[in-house]
Formats: sequence, C-alpha cells, structure tokens
Amino acid sequence: MSGAKRNLQAALDAGDHGALVAAIPYAGFLGIAVDADTDGARIYRMPYRADLIGNSRKPALHGGTVAGLLELSMQLEVLIAETQARLPYPVDFSIDYWRSAGPKDCLCRCRLIRSGRRMAQVQAECWQDDVDRPIAFARADFLLRAFDEAAGDPGAARSID
Amino acid sequence: MDDSQARSIDKREPGVRARIAQGFNQAVAHNQALGLRVADVSGERVCVTLDYRDDFLGDPIAGLWHTAVGISAADSSCGLAVFLALPDMESIATLDLRMDYLRPAVADKGLQVEAECYHITRCVAFARATLHQGDRERPVSLCTAAFMRTGQSSITA
Repeated sequence: MSGAKRNLQAALDAGDHGALVAAIPYAGFLGIAVDADTDGARIYRMPYRADLIGNSRKPALHGGTVAGLLELSMQLEVLIAETQARLPYPVDFSIDYWRSAGPKDCLCRCRLIRSGRRMAQVQAECWQDDVDRPIAFARADFLLRAFDEAAGDPGAARSID
Repeated sequence: MDDSQARSIDKREPGVRARIAQGFNQAVAHNQALGLRVADVSGERVCVTLDYRDDFLGDPIAGLWHTAVGISAADSSCGLAVFLALPDMESIATLDLRMDYLRPAVADKGLQVEAECYHITRCVAFARATLHQGDRERPVSLCTAAFMRTGQSSITA
C-alpha cells in the first residue's frame, strides 16, 4: 500500500479532515479547509487569496475556483459519508452562478441526495457573508468504489450491481 | 478607449485576436496562478494549454489530475472564445457551466482546451469546450457554458 493511500485511510479512520484535504494536492492548491458546523454537518471553506481572482475590476473570484470548491466539497462529503478507500470519481458536474463572488472567503455545504452501491448524487450550495444569499449552486454524480476493489485486487472489481 | 475605437477593432484579424487573448489571459489573476497559456486563437476555435503540475493531482495514488482543474481551464477558455466572438470589447460573466468527465487526465502530461462560442443572443453567449491530452478524438472532458453579456470591458485590444 502506498504512502498516499495510507494517508487517506488513516485520515478517514481518525476523522482528521485536515489530513484528508492534505491527501488531495489540488484541494491544497485551492487552500480548502473543513469546518464543523454547530449541527454536526460539515462546512467546507475556501479562504480568500488574491490569486483566486478572475475579474480584478469588480473584483470577483474566478468562477472556476468557486466550482472547484463545490466539486471538492461534494467529493469529500461522499468520501467521508461513504468511507471510500479512494476519492470517488465524478461522472459529471454542473454549476449555476447566482451572484458574483466577492474577494472574501467562500463557504459550502453539501447535501447527499442519494447514495447507492455504485453512484452517489450530491448537491452543494456556496455563500460568502450570508447563508441565505447563496452565490452558487452545484450538483454532481460520483462513481463509488468498493473497498476491496480499491485495495488493489483487480478480481474484486464488480460487474453486477 | 472611446466607442469609435471599440467599434473599429476587427476581431477576425489573427494579430488582433492574439493581442486581445494575451490581454484577457494576463488580466485574469487565477489564469496566471494556474499557468494557463493561450496557444492559438487565429480561428474561431481557441486553443489554450495548461502544463502538468503536481499541485493539480486529485488522486496521487493513481496519478490522475483533479477534474476540477479542468473546470477553471474550461471556464477561462470558453470565456475567451466568447470574448473574441462578441463584436465589441464587452465584459462577460459565467451564468452556468456543465462538465462531463469522459476519462481521467493522467499525470506528467499537459491539458489542452479547445473552446468555441457557438451562439450569441442579445444578452447571452453559449460556448462549448473539449479538454484532451493531445488526441482530441479521446477527450478527457466536455464542457458547455452560458455567459451573460454584462457591459463594456476594461480590456483593450
């Protein structure tokens, strides 16, 4: 088992969300952090940084960074909720931009709509100052990977759901 | 830039397109952070490239790019295609965007984005992009996006 795989598994077992994010290089690139909400739900945060800006005149964050936060949040939500051994692979993703994202932190909450044996379907909403004034909404479908399959035994790959 | 200058720009001319594209790309801080490069904008289909970086990995075990890197690249590329297709120097904002992930992008190889604006109305422009790693017949992902026309741009030709 590689070091990276051990890291992901150890982080999941320990409930260490910081280590989980650290196991995904692109989540580190965007500076994503996982906060615990008062009701136990997870809140994903992308702290503001000048190099996340897409439009300097407004100024506004690059739409791709907001989309990245939402996709990574949904992916982490599935990873944590379904205790996957590897990152669930997205099938498709779409985002609606509701308001322009100002130069400040972005926060995100996810809703796992459905999770079967093969697929998980998730929604996410992003806001900045006010949770009741969301700036973006996204949805995505993820392929789930069974534990034994991800452990590297090709014979364990399932053909029947 | 006054209106008469804005209207005199011929966005079909390859030299003008290249100059506008460089200005557009350099004005976007996050494009610079990613290292996005404008490869070819001489035709209607714009080509943008992104070199591989370890920072872009999603699955370091399997050696795969994170799919979300492609969203930023696709958003920027579709935006550039729209910006070049609009008659004047107009600012735009992404309204919505969809990605289909056909196959993973592998580490150590760059990502190419080919984007085109295929329809423009009074308020909205529609664009699509193909992301691949050298063979556009084997796309990594497909993107469709809609952009709002939001007024005059600060970017000059």
